[in-house]
Amino acid sequence: MRGVFLVAIFISIVGLGVQSEEIWAQEEDSDVQISDPWEPFNQAMFTFNLKVDEYALRPVAKAYDAILPDAAQRGVGRFFRNLGVVERFANNLFQGKFPRAGEEVGRFLVNTTIGCAGFLDVADPLFGWQEHPEDFGQTLAVYGVNNGPYLVLPFLGPSTLRDITGTAVDGALNPMNYFLSTLQVLAIKGGIGVASAVNYRSLNLDLFENVQRSSVDLYGAVQDGYVQRREKLIKE
Amino acid sequence: MISLLSMVYEEDVVDTACSVWWKIAVVTLLAFPAHVRAQESPMAMIRNTVEQATVILQNPSNQGKENFQLRITKLRALVEPQFDVREVAKRALGPYWQGRTEAERNEFIRLFTDLVQKTWGHMLDRYNANVPQFLYDQERIDGNFAEVDTRIFDPGQNRAFSLSYKLHQVDNHWLIYDVIAENVSLVRNYRNQFNRIISKSSYQDLLQILENKIKELDTTTSSTQERNAAAE
Repeated sequence: MRGVFLVAIFISIVGLGVQSEEIWAQEEDSDVQISDPWEPFNQAMFTFNLKVDEYALRPVAKAYDAILPDAAQRGVGRFFRNLGVVERFANNLFQGKFPRAGEEVGRFLVNTTIGCAGFLDVADPLFGWQEHPEDFGQTLAVYGVNNGPYLVLPFLGPSTLRDITGTAVDGALNPMNYFLSTLQVLAIKGGIGVASAVNYRSLNLDLFENVQRSSVDLYGAVQDGYVQRREKLIKE
Repeated sequence: MISLLSMVYEEDVVDTACSVWWKIAVVTLLAFPAHVRAQESPMAMIRNTVEQATVILQNPSNQGKENFQLRITKLRALVEPQFDVREVAKRALGPYWQGRTEAERNEFIRLFTDLVQKTWGHMLDRYNANVPQFLYDQERIDGNFAEVDTRIFDPGQNRAFSLSYKLHQVDNHWLIYDVIAENVSLVRNYRNQFNRIISKSSYQDLLQILENKIKELDTTTSSTQERNAAAE
């Protein structure tokens, strides 16, 4: 949307104000069309993931939420995000965002040491180094690769062919792959994934409930929410 | 000397012009009601609405489970006039708006407005007396369109959520036609849901789904209230 706004400003500067207003007036034309040729499979996976959430993730997250204070949960969230430094560093680099890549390295060094293994974010208040989330899916988008078909995978949730390819590449970038066996890497990543999912779910108990409450087509709401958030991340 | 005379002459002309403009201004002020004269900027409108909503939520006579409906009615009366509900519904229905008759459009507006108010009014009410901090970041105006970026800082969760409003000017008033919560346009999100339902079944089915959802929300709300009342 910011992109649309910038285009609108640019056009109004060069004296075509009427056209700029048309951009606002007809913005639904700019909707990214979601290609969903695998919908029967995606619907089945979506239903499966909802059941996993209902019977496993949500109850565990609620119990976890009752035990661990929110501040500690946010610390756990920061710890997991700190581990994603290689992915963020590499993809900022791939996209030519060199100062941001440098900040990612700086953040990792500072937060891992002074910030108690990443549980605290001291790099932002001390040095103004903020996190710059970039993944290989975003890198592919920057180089002109479209979303591709929408894809829902068990446990992993909504994605697209482009983004799931990106996730696989990001996984291969992880230095663990060079030191440990494939089975060990999968076990560690699986463990991190589950713990991270429980922590995230616990911090967003209300959000999930609100989306369910306000939707008339939950599949469509989640699909569009995913695409809109990805568009925003790519524009940044 | 000539330049001095011309300056005096020009000043006279300016004075005359000013007096004419003053007269026009006074007539205009008398001719238009106060709410039209005192047109607010988009951000001021949002801020005023949020502040008034805060007053409603913090007023002790509006609090408590027994005053839930009263609170929601007051919030609805405050918030609804700030939205261009027809524009919101039109954008949410997207390409299917064109083929509808005026009666169908009005029916859709009624159902969609009801759905939105029953879901989001309920969420707003959860803040109740614990009103979070509202941060007003910026407004951008481009002719008859504007966007206002705000954030809601929830001290309970110690984090801020982004909330932007898109507005357009109708009869000299800024009216909201979309809300973007955490980078997700709610109108666009509903548009995807509605388009999927219509393309898979029919427009009539969409209306039926909307009606069922509204009934479901009514049942959930009343059972929650009964549960809360029993717990008290």
